[in-house]
Amino acid sequence: MSTSALKRKRKSTFKALVFSSPYIIWSLLFFVYPAVWMVILVFSKWNFLDTPQWDGIHNIVRVLTSNLFWISIWNVFKFMLIYIPMVFICSILFALGLKKLKFGVVFVAISFFLAQAAPAVGYAIIFKTIFSQDGPINGFLAAYFNFTIPWFTNPTLAMLSIAIMVTWKFVGFYGIILYSGMNAIPDPIYEAAEVDGSGTLRTLFKITIPLLNSQLVLIMVLAIALGFGIFTEVYLITNGGPLNSTMMPLLVMYNTAFQQLDPTYSATMAIAVAIFSYVTIIVTRKIIEREVTLVS
Amino acid sequence: MKKSKNNSKTVTVIVHIIMFVLALIWLYPYAWMFMASIKPTANVMTTSLFEGPFTLENFRFLVVASEKLHFPFIRALMNSVFVTIVATICVTVLTAIVSYAFVKLDFVGKKLMDKMIIFQMVMPTFMFLVPQFLLMRYLNLLNTYSALFLPYVVSVSFIFMLSQSFKGTPDAYIEAARIDGASDLWIVFRLMMPLNKAMISIIAIQGFTVVWNDFLWPLIVISDFNKMTLAMMLATFFKNYGNYIGPIMAGTVILTIPMIIGFIVFRKQILSGMNLSMK
Repeated sequence: MSTSALKRKRKSTFKALVFSSPYIIWSLLFFVYPAVWMVILVFSKWNFLDTPQWDGIHNIVRVLTSNLFWISIWNVFKFMLIYIPMVFICSILFALGLKKLKFGVVFVAISFFLAQAAPAVGYAIIFKTIFSQDGPINGFLAAYFNFTIPWFTNPTLAMLSIAIMVTWKFVGFYGIILYSGMNAIPDPIYEAAEVDGSGTLRTLFKITIPLLNSQLVLIMVLAIALGFGIFTEVYLITNGGPLNSTMMPLLVMYNTAFQQLDPTYSATMAIAVAIFSYVTIIVTRKIIEREVTLVS
Repeated sequence: MKKSKNNSKTVTVIVHIIMFVLALIWLYPYAWMFMASIKPTANVMTTSLFEGPFTLENFRFLVVASEKLHFPFIRALMNSVFVTIVATICVTVLTAIVSYAFVKLDFVGKKLMDKMIIFQMVMPTFMFLVPQFLLMRYLNLLNTYSALFLPYVVSVSFIFMLSQSFKGTPDAYIEAARIDGASDLWIVFRLMMPLNKAMISIIAIQGFTVVWNDFLWPLIVISDFNKMTLAMMLATFFKNYGNYIGPIMAGTVILTIPMIIGFIVFRKQILSGMNLSMK
């Protein structure tokens, strides 16, 4: 290589580094620095004030033996067990219905999709008020059926209510993902199925759903990540109660770090929760992901 | 379609009715929010949805009376607008510059950075909550606007998305611009950004949404009422004065309206953004 070419190469590397410097600086600040701190926090005893003291694996033991940690993990699975079937059924029905519409498709699609626009704080406030003891839903039930439902104040119902409001928010989003997937399925397949005498349900379970595999996998992954990351809804509506029935991991982490000033527990728990969420996603993908190809 | 025409016609009509009723049910929480915001607090829970009397008192309460309760809502709204716009502009411009370097410039360590980005993308956001708070404290940025937008000025997933888009722009365009004497910054702003307008607008919209809606991060780094974002102030007010339903709903309307309008106006970009995120 001639010297001028080398010079040019060095100049272009310098330029590229200048151009990628926002990313490099940001990564040093918001990724590398925190990663180093994470290692320190996990193995230390500290209360935000003086210097962290070496504490061995005490934090790991503390997290893994604490009730609240396991309750919060169980609550995530409880949430997913309610939320995922509910949101799946709703969004598949929504997508099928949308496909059948002859007019008003845009209106219906936007009405559902608009829920997605709600800021977490906004819809948490709205749902807490609507579902409250003297709110309009219970007012309606009391007037016509003579009973009320303690949506957010009953330990067995609270998580269901949270799942209902999250479903409200995400059906439009997931439904439109499924709808666009359905539109990509060629019509001749359905015609052939009909000629072969396949009923509506059979067509749904043997053709539509298997061909939507990649969309379903995407929705599953999004739903799992959502479940592990729920914060605003439970912070504002139930604060983890009643009886810890909606105590989610992020709420535990927030409380321990910033209310009880125990950052080392919180950081250790963050790693544990991240591992749980990865394993859940990987296992789920292993179970449901299929290679689907249309042979024409 | 061999089935009897009559039968399938009835089914279609029923499906239409069901879908329209469901659409209205899905809009109900918003409708309730709007109506509650223009009713006196005493009437919110006792009147039916479209029953009066109506008043703008709740919105006036947010402007005037909240100052006395130490909840400066108007200021919070301005804070939100300021922080969100700064973060959106920064993330859009910086993502374009970085993606350009990653895709169109050749340098040592490029492969490493590509791998790094994938690794950073799969990190859950809650992972670094405590150490990022410590960073802000170390930099003396707690209770400042910088703390609110700095974490958002660069986003690895946006860099990933835009890099994919930039790869589709032919190198020949860039060569031609270079021969005409264009600088790299000119190429980024005048060539790459306009040519990848679709992805740029998706990034701007998503960036805006994330910062505007954010709650947990402001909750951690801000305690000064004058620096709170609207979402955080509304949540704090809700926790302390839960029975002021009228003003709370008025605040919720102000927080939610920009998102609703934005969703309606930019629905095409948002939907195509969804499609792209699936790939």
